[in-house]
Amino acid sequence: MLRKSSLADTLGIGLILAVALLSLVLLVAPSLIVVIISFDTRAYVSFPPEGFTLRWYAEVFEQGELVEAMLNSLQVGVTVTFLCVVLGVPTALACARGRFRGTTALSVFVLVPHMVPGIVLGVAVLFAGALVGVSPSIWLQSISITVFILAVMVRTVQSRLLRLDPALEEAAANLRASPFQSLRTVTFPLLMPAILAGAVFTFVEGFDNLSVAIFTHGFRDRPLPVELLALVQYTSSPLVAAVSGVQIVLAVVALIAVSLSIGLDNVNE
Amino acid sequence: MAEAALPSGIGQPGLGERTVDALLSGRGIWPAVPAIFVLMIVAIIPFMILLSLGFSDIVVARGAIVSQTLSLSHLSNALSDPLYWTTFQRSLSLALSTTALCFVFGYPVAYLFLIGGRWTKRLILVLTIAPLLTSGIVRTYAWLVILGGRGVVNSTLMNIGLIDEPLRIMNTHWAVLIGMVQIHLPVMILPLIAVMSRHDSRLVEASENLGASRLGTLRHVILPLSVPGIGTGAALVFTLSYTTFVVPQLLGGGNYLNAATMIYEQVVFSLEWSKGSVTSLILMVTCLVVLVTIALLTNHFTRWTKGREG
Amino acid sequence: MMHGPPGPATKIATAAPVLRIGAVGKRFGTTTVLENCSLDVSEGEIVTLLGPSGCGKTTLLRCVAGFWDADGGAIEIDGQEMTQVAVNRRPVGVVFQSYALFPHLTVEQNVGYSLRMRGVPRSEATLRIAEALETVSLSGFEERYPAQLSGGQQQRVAIARVLIMQPRVLLLDEPFNALDAKLRGSMQVELRQLIKRLGLTSIFVTHDQEEALTMSDRIAVMRAGRIEQAATPDEIFDRPATAYVADFIGTSNFWEARADGGRVVLPDGQTVETHLDGQAQVMTRPHNLHLGSAEAGAWKGTVAFHRSVGPLVEYHVETSGGATVKVAAMRQERARPLEDGAPVSISVIDPTLCAVYPL
Repeated sequence: MLRKSSLADTLGIGLILAVALLSLVLLVAPSLIVVIISFDTRAYVSFPPEGFTLRWYAEVFEQGELVEAMLNSLQVGVTVTFLCVVLGVPTALACARGRFRGTTALSVFVLVPHMVPGIVLGVAVLFAGALVGVSPSIWLQSISITVFILAVMVRTVQSRLLRLDPALEEAAANLRASPFQSLRTVTFPLLMPAILAGAVFTFVEGFDNLSVAIFTHGFRDRPLPVELLALVQYTSSPLVAAVSGVQIVLAVVALIAVSLSIGLDNVNE
Repeated sequence: MAEAALPSGIGQPGLGERTVDALLSGRGIWPAVPAIFVLMIVAIIPFMILLSLGFSDIVVARGAIVSQTLSLSHLSNALSDPLYWTTFQRSLSLALSTTALCFVFGYPVAYLFLIGGRWTKRLILVLTIAPLLTSGIVRTYAWLVILGGRGVVNSTLMNIGLIDEPLRIMNTHWAVLIGMVQIHLPVMILPLIAVMSRHDSRLVEASENLGASRLGTLRHVILPLSVPGIGTGAALVFTLSYTTFVVPQLLGGGNYLNAATMIYEQVVFSLEWSKGSVTSLILMVTCLVVLVTIALLTNHFTRWTKGREG
Repeated sequence: MMHGPPGPATKIATAAPVLRIGAVGKRFGTTTVLENCSLDVSEGEIVTLLGPSGCGKTTLLRCVAGFWDADGGAIEIDGQEMTQVAVNRRPVGVVFQSYALFPHLTVEQNVGYSLRMRGVPRSEATLRIAEALETVSLSGFEERYPAQLSGGQQQRVAIARVLIMQPRVLLLDEPFNALDAKLRGSMQVELRQLIKRLGLTSIFVTHDQEEALTMSDRIAVMRAGRIEQAATPDEIFDRPATAYVADFIGTSNFWEARADGGRVVLPDGQTVETHLDGQAQVMTRPHNLHLGSAEAGAWKGTVAFHRSVGPLVEYHVETSGGATVKVAAMRQERARPLEDGAPVSISVIDPTLCAVYPL
């Protein structure tokens, strides 16, 4: 019913808002707990924590395997981002500005690997690689994550392109710019925010992805998520808490940086 | 040429520029060709191979395939295997309950975003997006800490004196469910927020102006308009929770089998590639069926967006 | 139509046109957007393409600019065929409806963009930019960004940006659409004066009659991809070539009549000559009709209502046939306007100002 009814209405809305607050707490509480645990002096995971130490953070960087895993993931993240920019931005240009018949088909085509579950893609790449003699490696991991996440870069850039006044590029052409000059001096500068936003997401995916990586990573080049998985399953060390703590802090920092530079309007998921 | 004469050589494009110009000016598909090429090789063809592997008998020697013959045996074996049925049923029910719970917990947050002020909105965005920038392992580990034998829940309850022995929460279906819901909550919230931000806030004002209670506005105005967001969120959460590997593995213990962990085991441990193929294919097909259902439902509830026919 | 320059002995009064559009057509898929459009624009002339949305005026403009390729016909500037010439080499300057100022560049960088693309050295560029800004009265605005400018200022930057290229033809696509009504009037006059002062050949596109009548030396009225009539505002007003043009510009009265033996009989008894035969429609403007007392003529009616339009009073008269005829009279003709319901008779002042069109 639409009539104003104060008590029931207030209670109902109150309940909804209470659930909302609970959910927000639920979103952040686990991460907070992990960070708290990471300062625990005891060598096993327990709550409430005793004491305060930065020892585990220091140990993270002393563990050769962990550091190597982090560097591997860093490399994958950078590679994936680079490939996504190089492959994805031109694709977005073709989709948004192209005057051929298959522009929608192209968008959908790029989206296909993203729609499929990551593990299925990982398995498929593994098998295909085996057939042609390409074994899992950091490069196979990078390229498979790239095709997995490419659609996000394409979509981010494409949606920005579509909102860009096409008259801007026409004006540039009229003002004596060649297509290349127009791209360089008008289109790219205006696309930068979208490319950067896309880069953040593709880097994170390259760094954090497990579903595709678990099948395609090189045996000797374990990325951080895989390394962490092993650690968590077979040990009970607060080391993992420390690594998690680092990731959480980095995530918040990255978020603040992004929001300060281009605003939080990239809810384009 | 009817243009003011310029000294030749100034502003003349080099070969690289001229090539790019030629590629760009036709507005053709050329810029996308590299991506298409890579996608074909790294995604499309592997999928085909996966398909073919599921429907053939192969002999694997030293990590490479030696012979391959067409066969439906793997598929029929899978379909007649009770283990498959229970595993997929478990995955499906887990995914569906996760999706439903994510909606129950996530929609109020989106509602709060809608009616909240600038700082509320910012806070919600930070709390929702930040977890997505951390890896699944990190987020799952947090629940290990919370639900473990000496974790937050147990320690607190024991300290208060409610229980004497730690509860066995870990390695149960409930642990997995709780973890799934919390981890995938942001994925449900973000599309909802996206859809809600797009709509005119004056609609809410108009509804209240017409005498509706806030609950009534929610039910009759906001909810129907947010259906596309609900559809997107549900589709994303379902896909992720149906195919996620980490959470069941870590929170469900070694014996907790769902579709994703089964695939992992078949492909990486027992090297039964054809089986792994079939399982993957079944996973994909069932996932697709649910997604199509969600799309149809969303379509049905947004009939009002259809333009005039013809 | 002549091709090539006139010979030495035949120095005609009119020089060759700056812009020649010859039988240009354009199709998008199966839809024909332009059909057989021809127009010559002389040096320093301002021509407006006028018509409702969808008539093809913007399409024609874009073909001249080079954004779209025409499917047939020729576009020549100073006698040179433009079909193979890319957009960035055509001697035209386009002012867009949205102005399309580059938001990430300052006013100075916007105005100087074409110079930068052509590699003009900084020192020369700075001078020319300052000159261009002065021409549009925006000196001192170099460091501002488009977002910090008002609508009128943005338009002037857009104009300065093309003027600096010294284009042979200036193309303006509904440049006043984004301005509010008050500003529009003054900007139109200002712009026309500027164009005339610089002697630029220009083509405007608009759907606004008033604008066309204010700005143009000639108007090309377009409909459904064709140019119905291209003539001076006076000619279009007094001698519209088709019923559509008559209806589109100014107020008009239409009625059906029968053409017989080279003549049409008007309702008040007078006749007008025509070469048409059979059923036709007759048009005349309200100021070509006069209201007299009911007994004075054969064309009778009653005043339905009247309204004031400047120095005129426009009466809507319901005739016996059922049609409503609009008659314009000077205010001072009568001490007070005729009342609603007053019986009157209508007479045509000058039959030769009646146009006869096929049905």
